[in-house]
This record gives sequence, structure tokens and C-alpha cells, in this order.
Amino acid sequence: MYDKTVRRRRAVLALLVALSLILLTAYFGEASSGGLHSLQNGFLTVVSPIQDGANKALKPVRDMFGWFGSTLKAKSQNKRLREQLATARKQLTEHQFDQRSYHELLRLYHLDQTLSIADYRPVSATVVTQSPNVWYLTIGIDAGSSAGVRVNDPVIDDEGLIGKVSRVVSDGAVVSLITDSEVEVSARISATGTVGMLQPQVGEPGRLLMRFLTSNARATKGDYVVTSGTVVSGGESLYPRGIPIGTVTSESERSAFRTVNVSPLADLRNLGAVQVLTAPPGSRAAALGATAASLAPSEGGGDEEGGSGQVASSEASG
Amino acid sequence: MSTSSTRSTLDSATQVSAAWLPGSLLWRVAVLSVVVVFVQIGVVSEVPLFGVSVDLSPLLVAFTGLLCGSMLGAITGFAVGLLLDLSLVQTLGITSLVFTLIGYAAGRLRELRDPQAALTPLLVGTVAAACATVGYSLFEFLLGVDAPVSLELLREIVIGVLIDAALALPMWALVRRCLIGGLAEDPRRRRRRAYTTGGLSPLSRASERSR
Repeated sequence: MYDKTVRRRRAVLALLVALSLILLTAYFGEASSGGLHSLQNGFLTVVSPIQDGANKALKPVRDMFGWFGSTLKAKSQNKRLREQLATARKQLTEHQFDQRSYHELLRLYHLDQTLSIADYRPVSATVVTQSPNVWYLTIGIDAGSSAGVRVNDPVIDDEGLIGKVSRVVSDGAVVSLITDSEVEVSARISATGTVGMLQPQVGEPGRLLMRFLTSNARATKGDYVVTSGTVVSGGESLYPRGIPIGTVTSESERSAFRTVNVSPLADLRNLGAVQVLTAPPGSRAAALGATAASLAPSEGGGDEEGGSGQVASSEASG
Repeated sequence: MSTSSTRSTLDSATQVSAAWLPGSLLWRVAVLSVVVVFVQIGVVSEVPLFGVSVDLSPLLVAFTGLLCGSMLGAITGFAVGLLLDLSLVQTLGITSLVFTLIGYAAGRLRELRDPQAALTPLLVGTVAAACATVGYSLFEFLLGVDAPVSLELLREIVIGVLIDAALALPMWALVRRCLIGGLAEDPRRRRRRAYTTGGLSPLSRASERSR
């Protein structure tokens, strides 16, 4: 009896461990269109309406817990925002005059082909799942292909860019956040126009690195970092130009290329409502997105030849 | 303790598992697991505390093992891990593997030592949360995530484990309350009998009676 029980217990353990390892190996080795990925997509399709329902039903509970943290955070944020508002008011009046002149000149030279958020059809969505894991920086939303959402569509919230759609099913989608290791964004420092590649800072969840800045580039603490509206390689998302991403916090390293640390503006741990910027078929945004996707994929953005890849730009002629 | 008595203790302890997973207990564990996973995904994950998302799933798995034994602990760990990996679109197999080992280890602790101290769930929960986070991180490193162990990462891991430790006792009460009806023997009664009868593990007494 003892031997039989021990044998059975060990057999169950061995079977479960072996199953886990088989799943792990098969999942890791297969393409994103493979069987296990399809199974996961199917599961997501089935579960997303349930998660959506549960999410709505449990929203009051979540809001109650969130209220405490939000109140504390709001107090400090309020002070900071008041200071920023005062500065921004001054700048606004100056910029309004400059902007008017700028647009007049653009129209004069027929160069107003810049892709903006207005060229996209924003689809509102609610965050229904969020990984508790420090490694997986993805969220699930309740808008999918039936709402026009497609893979690589940019996702924003009221603070700025939060990520891009990485997987879509009919009634839901998975969004890889900008702090996910698979996401990189072409960005520029708003104040100076310096362009670089924004990547997650591995091992520092919630932090970003802006890499491949030229050695004489100027970046000061507090400068806003926005999307540049360009892509460096195929498979990347073509984010519209000028979406705020974060602020420069410090300089990271100085070599042939400079690198600065960036703190995201959006609170990526506490997302509620988001917008997916979908490009309607036949629109200029869709055409530019298709052009960007047709570029040859690079060998990752981490090579030191940064910026040497092919570049598609939302500023290109439409 | 002589070899024969040790053998007797082990024998009786493993009979918890040998009573091949009663149906009512399995149902309770299955329903509890699904509910906890959905609450985890739908509510708990979205309410960060000190900048960290709380993870109740390692506590559920460890306490199921601690109450029901190694076999059901391991099976629950595998199922909960798979459900989480599928729901959160993570690499299939990692969470299952880590949770299987956690559930099994917690179950073996109960079968071999049968700890009855009031703080046992607190310790088991803390260790389970730490093992889950560290185990997961190790697998991520092994699978090629090129991440230096930074202070920020360590801070998140430590805070996550501390929050799980704080939630261990309430979670234990919840899991115990849900599963107690399906268990062959109430652990509290078992402990009382151990105090009143003295001697070795109360499980060994049960086995002696059955002999």
C-alpha cells in the first residue's frame, strides 16, 4: 500500500513536471501561428467576454481599493500639475503665434503631410486583464478585430502612449506596453527635436531608455519625449507623430551614442480606459502603416548602428 | 523514533493522498481555483499596492497543498498555472511548472511534518510567494530575457512577497473554509486529538486505528 501510494504520488508529480516542460518547450519553439498560440487565442476568445463581464461587475470593488491610492497620489500630483500649468500657459501664448505662422508656411509650400492622431479612428476600450507578473508587461482590453483593432495599432490613454496591440481576437486584444521587452518606439525629445530609439530598461520595470542619441544631443531633466512618427524596421508600429511618452529623468551613459533615462507619463500599473488608434482601410494612416510593415525587419533595435535601418516616416508624402 | 514508526507515520500520511482524491473535494478545489484566478485577473492585479500587483495564486496553491496533500497540491498548481498562462497570454508551462512544485512541496510538508503552529500558513505563504516570484524570474533568465538584477526589480519582488505574507492568513482562512467540507478529516480536530492523546502524529494514530 505504501509503495503503491508513493509510486502514484511520484508518477503524478513526474507527469505534471514533464507536461509543463513539454508545453514550455513547444510554446517557446513554435511560431506565433502555431498550435499552442492558436489554443491561447481560442481561450482568449472564449474567456474575454466572461472577463469583460466580471471586470464590469467587480469595478466598484476595484474602484474602492483604487480610491485610497489615487487620493494620496492625486495630492502630490496636483501640486506638480499646477506648477506645470503655469509654465504651459506662458508657453502656449508664445507657441500659438509660432504655430499659426508655421502652418501658413506649410500650406504655402504644400508640405502639410504630417500624420496626426486625427488621421486615425480611435476605438475606446476598457482594460480587462493585467498581468500581476513583473516580467509580463501586457494588458488585455475588451475591443478586438470586430471593432477594427489590428495587430500593431498604437494604444494611448489620457497621459500618452502606452503600447501597441500585439494580439487580436474578435472581442478582445492583448496590448504590449512600452515597457515590454518586445516593444520599441522611435521617439524624439520635444524641446530639441533630437531623435532616438525608446526601449524598455531591462531589469528596471517601468523605466525606459532613449538610445542612439547623437553625442552632442541636448537632453535636460524634465524634457518631454514624444513619438517621432517614424519606424526603423518592418514589423514595428507606426505611431503618429507627437504623442507624449514620458519625461527625461537623467542621463544614463555617454559613449559614441548618448543614452538617457525616461520615465513614462502614463501610470502603466493602473490603467483603466484606453484608446486604440485604428487606421481605417484606405486611409492615409493605413497606407503609411502598410508601407512601414513592408520594410525588411531589422535584427532587433539593440545593435549599436542605431538609426541605420530603413526609415519610414509619417511625414513622408501621403 | 524507530524505523517502523517512521514508516508508519509516512504510511498514514500518504493515505491522505491514497484516498484517491474524493470528488467533492476536487469540485471545491476546481471552483475555488477558477474563482480566485478570475478575481486575481479582474480585480487584484489591477489594484497595485506600493506600485506592485498582488498575486494571490501562489497562496492558493500552497494552501491547497497544505490542506489536501501533495498530489492535489501539485495538480492544483498545474491547473492554476495553466489557467493563468492561458488567460494572461504568457509562455505556457512556466507558471504551471513553478506552481506544481510549490503545491507538491506544501503537500509534502503537511504529510511529513503535519505542522500545527498558528503561524504555519504565514510562513508557508511567504515562502510560496517568494519561490513563485524567484522561480518565475529564474525561468525568464533561462529563457533568454537579458535583464540585470537591479535594485528596482529586487524591490518589487520583496514588496510583492511582503504583501503576500500580509495576506497569507486571511487567504488561509478563506481556502480552509472553502475546502474543509470536502476534507476527510478536519485539521483542527486532528490537532485537538493529538493534544489529548499525546504521542506521535495524529495521522499515525488514525492509521493504527484502521489497522
